[in-house]
Amino acid sequence: MNVDELLDAATATSLDVPWLLEQLAPVGAYGDRAFERLRPFRRGDEAGARANALRIVAAANEIDAARVDAMRDALRHAPDVAAALARASMGDVLDDPAFLELLRFCDAWKRLGALAVDAPTLAWMPHAAVDELAATLEPGRAGNAGFYLDDGFDPALAAVRDAARVAQATYETARGRLAASAAAILSREHLDEEFIVMRADLHGALPPGVRVMREAPTYLLCALELDEAALESLGRRDGAVQSVAAGEQAVRARLSWAVRARCAALELAADRLGCIDVLVAQVRFAQRFACVAPDVVDDASVEFESGRFLCLEDELRREGLDYAPIALDLRGVAVLTGPNMGGKSVALRACGAIALCAAFGLPVPVRRARVGLFDRIVWLGIGGDDQRGGLLSSFAKEVVRLREILGRAPQRMLVLVDEFARTTTPHEGRALLVAVIGRLRESGDCALIATHLAGVAEAARVRHFAVRGLRDIPTRPPDGDLEASLALLARSMDYGVIEVTGEHVASADAIALAALLGLDDRLIQSAYDALKE
Amino acid sequence: MEVGAALLDLALGGSSPGIAVVGTGKNVGKTVAVRAIVEAAVARGLAVGLTSIGRDGEAVDAGDAQAKPRLFLQPGTLLATARGVLPPCPAAELMAFAELMTAAGSLLYARVREPGYFEIVGPPTASGVRTALDALRRLGAEIVVLDGAVDRVAALAGGNEAIVVATGAASGATIDEVVDEVRAMAARLATPAVDPSRPSLKIEGGLTAADAAALIARDERRQVVVRDPSQLAMSGRAFLGLAQRLTVRCERPLRVVATTVASIGRDRYLEPAALARAVAAATGLPTFDVYADGETAA
Repeated sequence: MNVDELLDAATATSLDVPWLLEQLAPVGAYGDRAFERLRPFRRGDEAGARANALRIVAAANEIDAARVDAMRDALRHAPDVAAALARASMGDVLDDPAFLELLRFCDAWKRLGALAVDAPTLAWMPHAAVDELAATLEPGRAGNAGFYLDDGFDPALAAVRDAARVAQATYETARGRLAASAAAILSREHLDEEFIVMRADLHGALPPGVRVMREAPTYLLCALELDEAALESLGRRDGAVQSVAAGEQAVRARLSWAVRARCAALELAADRLGCIDVLVAQVRFAQRFACVAPDVVDDASVEFESGRFLCLEDELRREGLDYAPIALDLRGVAVLTGPNMGGKSVALRACGAIALCAAFGLPVPVRRARVGLFDRIVWLGIGGDDQRGGLLSSFAKEVVRLREILGRAPQRMLVLVDEFARTTTPHEGRALLVAVIGRLRESGDCALIATHLAGVAEAARVRHFAVRGLRDIPTRPPDGDLEASLALLARSMDYGVIEVTGEHVASADAIALAALLGLDDRLIQSAYDALKE
Repeated sequence: MEVGAALLDLALGGSSPGIAVVGTGKNVGKTVAVRAIVEAAVARGLAVGLTSIGRDGEAVDAGDAQAKPRLFLQPGTLLATARGVLPPCPAAELMAFAELMTAAGSLLYARVREPGYFEIVGPPTASGVRTALDALRRLGAEIVVLDGAVDRVAALAGGNEAIVVATGAASGATIDEVVDEVRAMAARLATPAVDPSRPSLKIEGGLTAADAAALIARDERRQVVVRDPSQLAMSGRAFLGLAQRLTVRCERPLRVVATTVASIGRDRYLEPAALARAVAAATGLPTFDVYADGETAA
């Protein structure tokens, strides 16, 4: 999934894109390749993006989670036959492991076909080449899922193998006769291919048919010397083994030709398997996170109801906590204010992730959404994970990044700004932010600017959203336990985002939060006094 | 007597589902011992599973191009070996791909259908070996034989497999040198299990000679406990010295049941009976000469 066509590494980190990619990842080798080919829909193809998301949602309604898991299991076990097909197409004779892979591929195809019944959205089509290959390889099926170059492939193979067995038995009898005779003379139960005879135990010459390989002062390393009859049977055995080798290779060559004749069709089938893998992963994503198809529109806007930032929701769910969805109607540039820990950054991330999903034609985690397609999604501010170090201060890094963002070729951007200029003086930071908003408006970008600086929206004449904030000030737990304090805070916080008009006065939630999080009472009182002054 | 049958008896006597043959070096008769055990198991009608740590059964030594003993396997034998070394003839029944890689490609489970020579390249890691052994049993092996490298025996720790230590003229210029080597290895592999009722000091990771020296210097009296004998990362001589001054124990012991000797090296011979007697005396284990087809009691 080529997310880098839409966003840079810093933005990807801020939006937790690696987590998203993990949720959407297919399970098989073909799926991986198809996944790597996914590109975002571009402006002008809004209908395509919407249709893709609708297709995924329709498929999610057709196949339940258990069937999705079964399909992923089948896809996971479909071997990668790309190398085998490439070798066959070049005229190579394939080896038995390659036939096992191809047989397993056909099995996976068949299993998926059975699972895709009653799911018209998957558009599963039987594939003659796969069926023909499966029938060709079927005589080699050993057990449930094994392969053996069976006699059933060629009656001539059965004949040469029978001959080889007879020749082997004849040779073993001849050798066994010699070994038994020598062992009896040497008072041994058994003679291996090489064996030691102690000189002290040897009264007279070595038995007939035993030759010395090496001599040591106290013993001889010996081996059986085959007599004429045994040598003749050995020669016949070796000849029979060569006939088996030739017979087996002839069958392999014939099977390889059968593969070669269908290579192009089989490659298409493998590609199709990859597309199904990607689709099934998307269906699983839509089901697991209750996603819907957004309206994809031709303007720079992100509007949604009951939107969620899935990475955080997933984390909270694992901890047994609830996520508070938000609604947002972002058209053009808007400012977002609110208390610390009120969810401003999460709102920005939800906005970016929803726009990203929509751009790839994916269902989005909302009750309803109306989203435009963007050329770039960019993040500026906290969490940008800027790798530039050295002499640049936090502020300087932000400015350099802003310069890069504004310097891009004209394109439609979704800009997500999290507390830009928070590390400089408030009055200069505010002035800079107002100017940045002006520039983004001029460019026709869509932007959400989260800030603690007061009066920015009014000064820049843009819409102003605010997190509702604390419903009441929770009382600090007696033991000062941080986890308990955070739970109290979450219960008291209204994460809803509303549009505010006129002069909006920020509440002093920061001091209340500091008290809740354990700063001592005297310090907190001093802060309130200073605030009054 | 038949050495393979005797080794098999020792393993099965402990209800062992498997035997691993590990060597004190190269060309000490490991493959010959494995072959003898496999033949004995087949003769008893047991379904044998065979794998290796590293590469075994090849026609020539990859290091010096000298001829090596080969593995001629009978129908029904199960193998865990690398795709790259499967012979084109005789074709084997391929049962499953393992999700393990070896130096010669992905690991496959196969069943011998026609008698022939096979080369075994097993998983390179201890966990991979354990996976392969378990898979061979699931596929029907009644006894699993492992041609092993001593530094990977961690895979067997805590399991019920019997271990046979192979040594021979190739690992020392004199009988004394061979004995020193095998005594140290057998002692190391037979490190006893920790006694939970006594104080102990757990060593995370390997115990090196330097670590051991530091423990001796501070007069450590507790049991010094490693995970398994493969974590004793020091020479044989160093281990024997250490064992006299520290109480070394392990959490997952191995079951060493016998030694084998090969008196014939590539370029030297040792007196077979004297070698077997010396090895048996030094290790306290029943000792078998795989070439002379004899046993020397400990």
